[in-house]
Amino acid sequence: MSLRTKQLLIAILGFGFLASLIVVQWAEVTRRRIEAGVAVRKVKAPASSRACVECHRQVSPGVVDHWEGSTHALKGVGCVECHHADTGDADAFEHYGATIATIVTPKDCSRCHRREAEEFMHSHHAKGGNILASLDNFLAETVEGARAPFDPHSPTPGMTVDSVNGMASVNVGCKQCHGSKVALRAKEGNLITVDDLKPGPDGKPTVREVLDRIERDASGRPILDPSSWPNTGIGRINLDGSLGSCSACHSRHDFSPRRARQPENCGKCHLGPDHPQKEIYEESKHGVAYRDLREQMNLDGETWVLGEDYSQAPTCATCHMSANTRNGRQVTHDPGIRISWTNRPPVSLLMDTDADGNVVKTSDPEERRRLVVDTWRQKRDRMKQVCLHCHTEPYVNAFYQQYDDFVINYNEKFAKPGQQIMSALRQAGLLTPEEFDEEIEWTWFYLWHHEGRRARHGASMMAPDYAHWHGMYEVAERFYMELIPQAEELVHRAEAAGRTEAAQAVRQVIESILSRPEHQWFRKAHDRQAVVAPPAMQR
Amino acid sequence: MAASRTGWKNRLAAWWAERVPVSGVQLRELTNEPVPNHLKKWWFALGGTPAYLFLIQVFTGILLAFYYQPSPLTAYESVAYITRHAEYGWYFRSLHKWGATFMIAAVILHQMRVYFTGAYRRPRELNWVIGMCLLLCTLLLGFTGYSLVYEQLSYWGAQVAANLSEAVPLAGSVLKHLLLGGPEYNERTLARFYVIHAAVLPVTLILLLAIHIAFVRLHGVTELRFEDEEQTEPRYYNFFPDHLYTELCIGLVLMILLSALATIFPAVMGPKANPLETPEVIKPEWFFYVVFRWLKLFSLTTAIVSAGFIVAAMFLWPWIDALLIRLTGNREISTYIGVVATILLTGMTIYEALVEH
Amino acid sequence: MDDSDSSHTQRPHGAGPTTGRSARRLFLRVAMAGGLVAGYGTLGVMAGRFLYSNGQPSRRWQFVTTIDALAVGDAILYEAPNGAKLIIARQKEGETDDCFAALSSICPHLGCLVHWEPQNERFFCPCHNGIFDKGGKAISGPPAAAGQQLTRFPVKVDRGRLFVLAPVESLLELNVACRSHTTCRLAGHFRARAGEPRRAEV
Repeated sequence: MSLRTKQLLIAILGFGFLASLIVVQWAEVTRRRIEAGVAVRKVKAPASSRACVECHRQVSPGVVDHWEGSTHALKGVGCVECHHADTGDADAFEHYGATIATIVTPKDCSRCHRREAEEFMHSHHAKGGNILASLDNFLAETVEGARAPFDPHSPTPGMTVDSVNGMASVNVGCKQCHGSKVALRAKEGNLITVDDLKPGPDGKPTVREVLDRIERDASGRPILDPSSWPNTGIGRINLDGSLGSCSACHSRHDFSPRRARQPENCGKCHLGPDHPQKEIYEESKHGVAYRDLREQMNLDGETWVLGEDYSQAPTCATCHMSANTRNGRQVTHDPGIRISWTNRPPVSLLMDTDADGNVVKTSDPEERRRLVVDTWRQKRDRMKQVCLHCHTEPYVNAFYQQYDDFVINYNEKFAKPGQQIMSALRQAGLLTPEEFDEEIEWTWFYLWHHEGRRARHGASMMAPDYAHWHGMYEVAERFYMELIPQAEELVHRAEAAGRTEAAQAVRQVIESILSRPEHQWFRKAHDRQAVVAPPAMQR
Repeated sequence: MAASRTGWKNRLAAWWAERVPVSGVQLRELTNEPVPNHLKKWWFALGGTPAYLFLIQVFTGILLAFYYQPSPLTAYESVAYITRHAEYGWYFRSLHKWGATFMIAAVILHQMRVYFTGAYRRPRELNWVIGMCLLLCTLLLGFTGYSLVYEQLSYWGAQVAANLSEAVPLAGSVLKHLLLGGPEYNERTLARFYVIHAAVLPVTLILLLAIHIAFVRLHGVTELRFEDEEQTEPRYYNFFPDHLYTELCIGLVLMILLSALATIFPAVMGPKANPLETPEVIKPEWFFYVVFRWLKLFSLTTAIVSAGFIVAAMFLWPWIDALLIRLTGNREISTYIGVVATILLTGMTIYEALVEH
Repeated sequence: MDDSDSSHTQRPHGAGPTTGRSARRLFLRVAMAGGLVAGYGTLGVMAGRFLYSNGQPSRRWQFVTTIDALAVGDAILYEAPNGAKLIIARQKEGETDDCFAALSSICPHLGCLVHWEPQNERFFCPCHNGIFDKGGKAISGPPAAAGQQLTRFPVKVDRGRLFVLAPVESLLELNVACRSHTTCRLAGHFRARAGEPRRAEV
């Protein structure tokens, strides 16, 4: 070959090399597109789970299909990695050569996602399962159903019903959001829960003899009681002692961060008459912007940092959990650390929390200083760091002024007075100790638990209609038109029955409240009305 | 104008010549080794290929070293950063990985060519020994290289290698301790592998390469004649620029090939090293398949000792070969042995590649 | 790749008069050089882009407050995006940069949080009675004995607003993260880290 031919060859190859580098650059662009979430790659099952995938592709293709779309699949996390169990675990069973458990708990997830699990454990979400003996639970267990099974009173054509499960409403209504206490069925018919297993810090049961009592099906699989499973409630109390369920938000089996970033995900529980956060959000400017711009919000991004990866609109996650450029790009799995008021109780409280994350309720300043480890101001500052990505500081401060004013007005004008009247009635013995057996108890519950929360949540997330028409308007109506008249009627009845002292005590409380300047307008009209008709016949 | 520019140029040239007293002509003489004609057959230019690939490895290796951090806490993350975040990081990492594969393949092909043409025979025995050292260096580079990623294969590969070295008679435990920087794989181990991979072996390789090339220059390239060649052909041609052009062409073809492979089969991240869990299927890189299979065939000590003997025999082959020729009187004896060895090696590699365990 | 071409013995240079032949020769040499430069040059540019590192700068100008919200002699605690706590004090009358100081609130002695005492014009560390003057220099206590001072951050006033060049991410944060999380991954970003967990300079 001549030198000139070689020179020509080198020239051609040199430009060929350039061409191949252009292909490399094209690949780099593609990579960035994938990173930005424009395209998804195909996956291969890891060796450990190849058999699971092959079989389940036929028996439950949906599970496999979901998993294949997950980041887990991309990174080689298969079935066994999460469902893995040890033979000593209460719910472990042999499944075609692998020891697995049905329920994957936060403890399992924490094998890889330790920090997320720790943050979650500290959150109010994790404590969602502790609703036994709460008002809501009483409603579902006793008022809506019955604690003990009872007999059916007429046949159900086509089905033999021997006994009615009175806990049905609790299982379906309460536990699916709050979380169940996971229970295995014992051979003698009762249930085995974490209380019987008493797991150590490693999640292994310390009371080993309980394991022999677990009832198993023909294939040796322990039977999970249907009162506790299926369940993805956020505060699920698991057999290994861990609290919560990661799939409450990161639904299996694709565990999509994309989905957890969207408000619809939170809307499984945060909606309805008592805390319609999802609807409130949809009504707000934030929700409207999201609905319009969600396609541009980089929801598939590997990271989702506000101000870097997106800033079109905030979702629930954006404000309460996600990373932003002003907080060191840290995601938190404790949604409480940016919330400055808790609007859950009848009277809103500022979120000065102790080491366990509980609100410090005492008013003694010395005691507060000792107990409070994270103040509501710190929490608000964290939230403000989110707001400041789009709003100026004066704007944010003024918003908080509006919000604080609203909550305090509700607290002072209706919530604290309502609470005073209810406790006066109870102290005077004009109410039975039983909840929800008297009309005024329903009235008061409606006032704070439904309407009062709607109003405050509406104000917290900029939904005027929820703050006013679904909120304060109904609070006011409930207070003036139902709570006060019902309390007065109880007083009249007590007087009629000769319990003058008790009646007098309650009347004084009502009088002192209505004589306040903010209730003056009503007091005047009230008194005029009293001339027209005797109070006892008012209703 | 033109005159003053020439004057300026001359002055600069004079300044330079005074400080660097080597003329271009001398330099060309120095490098212009007469190249035997058979190197016009491109497949005989395999000796330059590993050298060129080594340059690519140095270049990409230095680039990667800017981001790599040798500690169990950060190694995997830093490689992941290179692969997923740094601009063109995946490309340079893939280039490095494919370059390594090619380099090992090229070294082996070069060695086979030298073997089958008998180029190691008197007086070039010592250069064969140096070539063997270069082969070992390259293989060790390959091994330490994939240990640095700190994925499952890296960790368990290193673990297996450490336990292998422990099985070496007499020096075993010392060797293992030296390799791991302690009795077990610990947080200082990666730094050790890194220094061996990025400093000790490359420098050794460069020194050996210099001696290797010096030997080639001193002895001249072994000359071969083909039967179909016209006898009027000149026996030599110029290194510069003729052979350089050949090497440039080979270099560019390699770059294109490597870029294509890097794009189509980029280096990916395996699962991160987990000292508590050995993966179900664990295999080293392809160039250790032979050793891996050998280990599965025999007991540990037998395998180590026999492998030691084989390597020693390879080192001493020029003399063994001479002895065999003297004993049998057959100059082709090495070819037969070579064919058998090649078949065995390829067979074991393919066998290992096809089975799962 | 055949050897039949006999021109290979000729040296490539020593071109004759300007003919079509030598022009072709020149073209070939230029094309060869061009091809080499195009290929390897692009590779070099890519290497440059790789080395340039597309990471985020670790410090950025952060808005703190409007200056009328900070009275002379007052100090506020400012939390930088990475969680580092800074004390921002207005130390004298005026609206220029040097009227303000931004100091790390972490005592260089053992890492307690210092606070500003306006009445004494000094920073005080309650752990071991460390005292720093308003410029952050230790004047009493263990830090003074060690000749330490509070880390200073640049500040600037722009149209009545105060900014501080505050760390957005830092080794300190990373070390804290590494101590509790073995993976050292923060929000999907890889950050540099060196050696054992220890206090890093902010």
